This record gives sequence, C-alpha cells and structure tokens, in this order.
Amino acid sequence: MPLSTQSQGEDEQYVLVASLDHARNLSNILKAITFKDHAIFNATPNGLKVTVEDSKCLQANAFIQSKIFQEFTIKEDMVGFQVNLTVLLDCLNIFGGSTTPGVSTALRMCYKGYGYPLTLFLEEGGVVTVCKINTQEPEEPVDFEFCSTNVTNKVILQSESLKEAFSELDMTSEVLQITMSPSQPYFRLSTFGNSGNAHYDYPKDSDMMELFKCTKTQTNRYKMSLLKPSTKALALSCKVSVRTDSRGFLSLQYLVRNDDGQICFVEYYCCPDEDVAED
Amino acid sequence: MDCVVTGGNVKVLAKAIHSLSRIGDELYVEPQEDGLALRSVNSSRSAYACFLFAPLFFSRYTIPSGPAFRCKMAIKSVQAVFRSLATLEKTVEKCHIELDEQKNRLTFTLHCKHGLMKTHNLSFQDSESLQAVFDKDSYANVFRSHPRLLVDTVVHFSPSLEEVTVSVSDDQMWVKNHVEDEADRSKAMLTELCLASDEFDNFSVQVHNSVTFCLKELRGLLVFAESTGLPISMYFDEPGRPVVLSVTDSVLEGNFVLATLSDDTDQRKNNTKRARTTPPPAPDDFMNDDMDSYLIAMDTSIMPGPSASRPPSPPLVNSTCLNHTAAANHRTRLHSEEEDEEEETVDSCGPPNKKFCSLFFGSVLPPSSQMTTQPLTGQEVLASDSEDDVQ
Amino acid sequence: MKFRGKIMDVACLNHFTRVITTISKLTKMCVLRLTPDNLFFVLSGKVANGGVSMWCELSQENFFDEFQMEGVSPEDNEICLEVTPENLSRALKTVQNAKAVKLKLTKKHCPCLTIAAELPTLSSVSRIVTHDVPVDVIPRRLWHEFKEPSMPDFDVSIYLPPLKTMKNVVDRMKNLSNFLVMEANLNGEMNLKIDTDLVSVTTHFKDLGNPPWGDEASQDRGPSQIRDPDAMAQTRVDIRKLQQFLMGQQVNPSKAMCNIVHERVVHLILLHEDVSLQYFIPAVA
Repeated sequence: MPLSTQSQGEDEQYVLVASLDHARNLSNILKAITFKDHAIFNATPNGLKVTVEDSKCLQANAFIQSKIFQEFTIKEDMVGFQVNLTVLLDCLNIFGGSTTPGVSTALRMCYKGYGYPLTLFLEEGGVVTVCKINTQEPEEPVDFEFCSTNVTNKVILQSESLKEAFSELDMTSEVLQITMSPSQPYFRLSTFGNSGNAHYDYPKDSDMMELFKCTKTQTNRYKMSLLKPSTKALALSCKVSVRTDSRGFLSLQYLVRNDDGQICFVEYYCCPDEDVAED
Repeated sequence: MDCVVTGGNVKVLAKAIHSLSRIGDELYVEPQEDGLALRSVNSSRSAYACFLFAPLFFSRYTIPSGPAFRCKMAIKSVQAVFRSLATLEKTVEKCHIELDEQKNRLTFTLHCKHGLMKTHNLSFQDSESLQAVFDKDSYANVFRSHPRLLVDTVVHFSPSLEEVTVSVSDDQMWVKNHVEDEADRSKAMLTELCLASDEFDNFSVQVHNSVTFCLKELRGLLVFAESTGLPISMYFDEPGRPVVLSVTDSVLEGNFVLATLSDDTDQRKNNTKRARTTPPPAPDDFMNDDMDSYLIAMDTSIMPGPSASRPPSPPLVNSTCLNHTAAANHRTRLHSEEEDEEEETVDSCGPPNKKFCSLFFGSVLPPSSQMTTQPLTGQEVLASDSEDDVQ
Repeated sequence: MKFRGKIMDVACLNHFTRVITTISKLTKMCVLRLTPDNLFFVLSGKVANGGVSMWCELSQENFFDEFQMEGVSPEDNEICLEVTPENLSRALKTVQNAKAVKLKLTKKHCPCLTIAAELPTLSSVSRIVTHDVPVDVIPRRLWHEFKEPSMPDFDVSIYLPPLKTMKNVVDRMKNLSNFLVMEANLNGEMNLKIDTDLVSVTTHFKDLGNPPWGDEASQDRGPSQIRDPDAMAQTRVDIRKLQQFLMGQQVNPSKAMCNIVHERVVHLILLHEDVSLQYFIPAVA
C-alpha cells in the first residue's frame, strides 16, 4: 500500500499518526457532529475525541477509540489542535465518499505539532491525494458538569423510532420540549409551531424502549436550532440514551456501529432554554 | 366531530391532502352528513378541488350536532401531520380526527406501531362554505380513462409548463402547450400530441372544442389517481366554462375544477361541429418544409413576411390571466352565463380579446351572519350548490 | 435549405439523446452545423462563456437510418443553426420508447427543428408527439466563426484518468477553491492541485500513458528541444469550467486525453465510436 512507504525519517517528526483502511470510519462519525465549521481535536493514547460547540449552550463529542485505527501512534500524553471541520470532511471524501463494495479509501493522518498543518494522505485505486489543512490553537471545550450521579431521568430507545420523530419535527417551533415522567405521558417530545402544537409520545412499555428509569416528572425546553443537528447523529446510530439532570441539562448519547461493526460513541450536551417560561 | 381512519385509508387521506396542496394554501374542512369534505381553492379562484370521503371510508364517523361546522387551516400544517407517505404505510395503524370547539382546535392523533402516538393540535379559523358551482351532467364532452394515459401525456410537457390546450374531434384528442406572449412564442418550444378515442374507456364528444387550462394544478390530481389506480373522468365544453376532472370510488369522490381561457374569436370558430382549427400534422412530404424564402429574407435584410400556419393571436391582457385576482369582479360574475357581459379585468388597456373566466363560486354565508368572514366578502349568496352526490 | 433525418433504432436514439444531453450540460446555446455526412455542435470561445469553446462531431450514418439535407447552396452545402440543446434534450428524453423519431427543419411561427416521434400505444393507432424547437438560422457571412478548431501547439499530451475519479475529486476541490491547476508530463503523470489559505490539496495520477503524437510534436522541435519527460506543463483554470465538463459526461469514452499548453489552455478530447468531443478551457491569471 503506497501510504506505508513513507520513510522512517519523516515518521519521526510526527507527534500523531493515525491510519485507517477505510477513511469513512472516521468521516461518517464526523458528519454526525458537523454543525459548525470548527472542531477541537484531542488525541490521547486512548484514542481521538473531536468536539464541536455552539454558543456555549450545545456541545457534541465524537469518540473514536485507538483500537478502531489500524495504526495509532502518539508521542505525547495529549495532542490537541483545532481545524476547519467542513474542509476536513471534503478532504476525507476527496474520492467521492460513495460506498461501492470493494472500493475503499485508505487514510493516513499525520500531525507534527503546534504550528504545523494537519496532513492527510488518502489513497484509492492507486491514486494518492495529499491534503495539508491549517490548524489553530485549540480552544478549551466547555465543561457541562454533567455527571451520572445527578441524573434524574434516563431512557434508552432504539434509534429507529426516534429518527421518525426528529425528521418530522415542526421547524417553525423555536423550542423542543422534552417531558420525562414515571407516569403518563412517560416520554414526550413537543413542539409549538405556527399552526399549533404537536406531541410525540413513547410509552414506557413500548418495545422500542430498552430502558426506562424516570424518578420524577420533568419538562424542559431546548432551542430547536441547537438540537436539530443531532438528527445526523441519530441517523447513524442504533441506540440512543436520553438523560436529564436536576438542572434540566440534557445529555444525548448515541451508539454508532461503523461498517466494520466496530462501536463508536457520539454525545450531545444541551442547556435548557431559559428565555421561555413554562406553561 | 370525531372520526377514525384506519389502515390503508390513512394513506389515501394523506394523498388527497397532498393533492389539494397543489391547488391552494388553505384546507377547508366541512364534516357533512354525506361525508367529510376537504376543499381547496387557489388565490385567483381559477382552480378548485374537493375530496368527499363517505362515512364508510371511516371506521367511525360522527359529525358535530347543531349548526353546520366549517373551518379552514393552513394546508402546510395538515401536510405536516402526514409528512412521509412511506412511513405512514409502514407505521400508522389509525388516525383519529377530533374537534375541540372550545379551543378552536382540530386534533389529529396518529396511533403508530410500537405504542408511539403522534398528536397534532391544529388551530383553525371559521370559514364560510366553499363550493364551486358545476354540473357534470350538463357537459357536452365526457371522457374517462385510466390515469396512466393522462400521466403518459403530461410527461411530454415541461414540469414548469403553465397551460395546455386540449382540442377534440369525434375520435381524437389533441393536447398542446399554450404560449401566451407573442414574444415568448418565438423562443418557446411547442409540443403537441394526439390521443385516439380507443385509448379511452369512454370518449363522448358532442361539440368540437378547444379549451385551455392550467396544467400545474391538474398534476396534483394525476398523482392521486395514479397511485390509487382510479380512472379519471374529464368534462368540458366551451372555452370559458371550467373543465372538471374527477375520480370516484365507492367511498370517495374527488373533483378538480379548473377555469379555462375564454377566447371570443376562437370561441366562434370552435362552436360549430367542424374539424378543429389547428390542422393535423402535415403529411410527410419533405418538400413542404422549405426554408428558402426565409433565408432569402435574411440575406437581403428584409423582415420576413407573415409566416406560420396559424393566424397570429391578439395579445392577452395579462400574461398571467389565470392567476389574476378576480375577487374584485366577483360581484357581477357570479352565476353569469353570459361571459360576454363580464367586467373587464383590472389591468385592461382596451377591449380584451381573451378573457379568463374565473370559477363561479357558491358562497353560503353561515346562518348567523355575525361571524367574521374571510377576504371573500363581496360574494353574493347563491341558491344551491350543484355538486354531485357521492356515487 | 432542407433537412430531414429519421432514427429507428432504439440504441441509436438513446445514444443520440445522451450526446445531446451532454452538450446541454456544457452550454445553454450552441451552433448546430449540418453537412451531408456529419452533425457538429459548436461553441466558439467568447468572453461570455468564460472563453471555453467546444467542438462535437457526430457521423450521421451512425445514428440516422435516413438522412437528407440540402444546404444553403450547392457550393455551401451546409446548414448552420443556433439551438438551445436543452430543449432538444428534453424533447428526446420523453420519447425513448418511440418506434421512430424524425428530425426536420421546418418553418412554423419561426424556423424550428421539429422532433416528431411515433410512440407505441395500446390502441390501434400510434401516438404522434411533435416538439417544435425554435432555432435561429446563422447567415453564411458568420460561418467562419464556427470552424473546426486546430490542434494547439501543446507542451504535453496525456491520456486522462478515469473521468469518474476526476469528477469526484474536482467536485470536492470545488468546495475548497475557485481555481485549480492541472499539470502533466510526458511520463504519464498528472496532478490536480488547489492551494488556498485554509488548505492545499494535490491529487497524483500515475501511469496514465501519453498519446503517440506527443513524441512527434517534440521531434518537430528538433533534438535540442526534446522535452524533459519529468517536466510538468501546467495551466490554472476556473474549477467550475472543468467541473461542468466532467458533470456532463454521460457515457464512458473509448479514449480520453488532454493537451496542455503551458499557462495558456487545456484542450480535452473525448473519443467514442461515433462521436468526438473537444473542449477548450483557457487559463486564468
């Protein structure tokens, strides 16, 4: 494979080298969190964490463990940089990003450290593309202080059923309201749009509901514009966990299985909308 | 009002609503004793459609007691309830439609698989009744065919095409696109095709006519008919009188009424039982397609002489006559059988040769005339509607 | 001036339609030249099209079962028309199942190319659909503008990589930059490059092969001017023009090559069995 014929000397300059036989195992996951141009990359020996934020109210993280990669070499405890995510995705998909069986794009991602561009070597069918993407100093991601001990309500649903609801959400509604309760309506998504309101109710005994642990009735509203991008993550996932804590903060965690059957996680954190008073 | 639609009928209802959305922006809902009527009209009142679902279409059908209830709402909101037809088929078990008169809301509840319930509370406005006046039995020309025939015909015309002209003789129907402006005509592509009477299930012509109407609005009906496989019946006669297209089965009836171009000059020619004015396709004689006179004209820089086999048509008053708001002229137009007595359209700059006839609407004001009506004030009260009954 | 052609073979109709559709994706309007043996679709490089020019040649007997024409005069036995290929494409696309399709020059409300198709029906009679596509006749004094372009004095001639791969890469590059550099050498190597403030991307194609006339051209220059096989000839072009060319291709050509005149023009040549297409993209500063 042409990509592995790089000289030893060059390799020694890189603080991070990550290789994949199928570039789409990275690009697909990144698509799930692409709602802003910039992403913060944080690499540790455990793997890669990519973070995208919106106005300090929404944060999405994608986790790709080091064992997903065919090669993952890191020379420091932590390597961080910021890069334009849409540019990165265009590069990862330079050969078209289609999934023709038998055809795959191999990727070698290399980084020399602060001040250097992120270098990608992509190969498909003997054709090699080299991309050098400028990097910036990474911003510090917001800590939403969401911890499992503070969780009041939690459900795990099969993504199938939630996908339908999310794709039909009334976009004229400024908020998405989530009600979780030990009693009726159990789990409800509501919108308040121009022509009226709509409710999507999931009963606790639905066969789509894998776990139902609600301790008290909570209704929280979140800005629709912030949550709508999570639809992409939902589309890729097979299961999703929805949790709220005592402050009304929302955590959505998606289990994504890639084409090779390996598991990655995507999570979204969102603050409740304070502008709106509850009915 | 309390109705329940189950199984495959949910999809049929959804399709009818999507079909109506091609006509107008608002859905008029009227639960009647003979069934639930869903109607729509376009802003210039030149296209109207109505679907009537008989009580047997529903697994439960209860209408409000007391005075007749009518309302209207943004059709987009109702479409949102039935957004994905594919999903509907797979997951919706039944659809419950309930009226909440106190809160002025119509509630659509979809009971889906896996226990999921989708509830849409849509607000509505009171409205007057909306019914076009037409009597299918009185039309001179009646046709019926499988929707595929019309779909196959319409495919030859550009999706953005506005108007078509349909002409008939005893055993043939010609369909061609209609181009309004003189200016456009030199650039526009002209398409024409001919259908034989034996391609129809029924082809009954009493008057050889030509009518021009808007194709765009018809496409909504075609999509509905094609997916349900119901034959389409078409009724028309003189230009100016609306063309009616309809689909029927035992539990529903859909009628699309489209205004047609009224052309005084063409009308006189067409109102006789003769061969149509547009000649049939020229015999395949190569010599007929002689370009030389045109070429000579170009070389000597003289304007080309009158060409074309068709007489030049007088310019139209409005290039978008069919969409012209005719509300202002309704007062004198309603129920007028003499089209020549119509008031001139607002933007006329001389006696128009071609006029568009708006549909004639029946407008029955509610018994308590205290109710605020819509911008349709100015419509006069009419005696009765002449819509066909179901079946 | 008369023209009448008839296509009766389904495959020929399909192929003809695809050629016209390709042309329609390359340009809104072009010139159609009809001669007894050929049809030419021509776009002459004007500032209005961003300087691109196109020459597409079809041998009529590979498409038409019947073909009769009489040009402007016996000496100038040719017809030259300005057409909107999209109209032709649209008309042809809906009649792919026709038993026969006739193309005629007619005079309706204005000069037209009339497409008349005979469609099968369930009834006893065939359905005839006619489309009258307005055209403008180009007078003889302007014909010199639409002559076959001569092969430029290129620096490098090379076979193109698979068009699909080129298209995928150019599509993505277009998201990143407005301009692209095409470079190639006589060693069968070609690179597509973009370079902006945010990112630089280079795609390397190897082992493409160079057409034989490449050698002849360097020989003409004499032994002292034999080109270094590794030296790249390059041209910077507007990426949308290249993308437009690649997007339009409906059929895989049997041969695809490109001539590069350093910093001047990219000359793309596609050869099919019965159709040849040449496309010139000028360099941008």
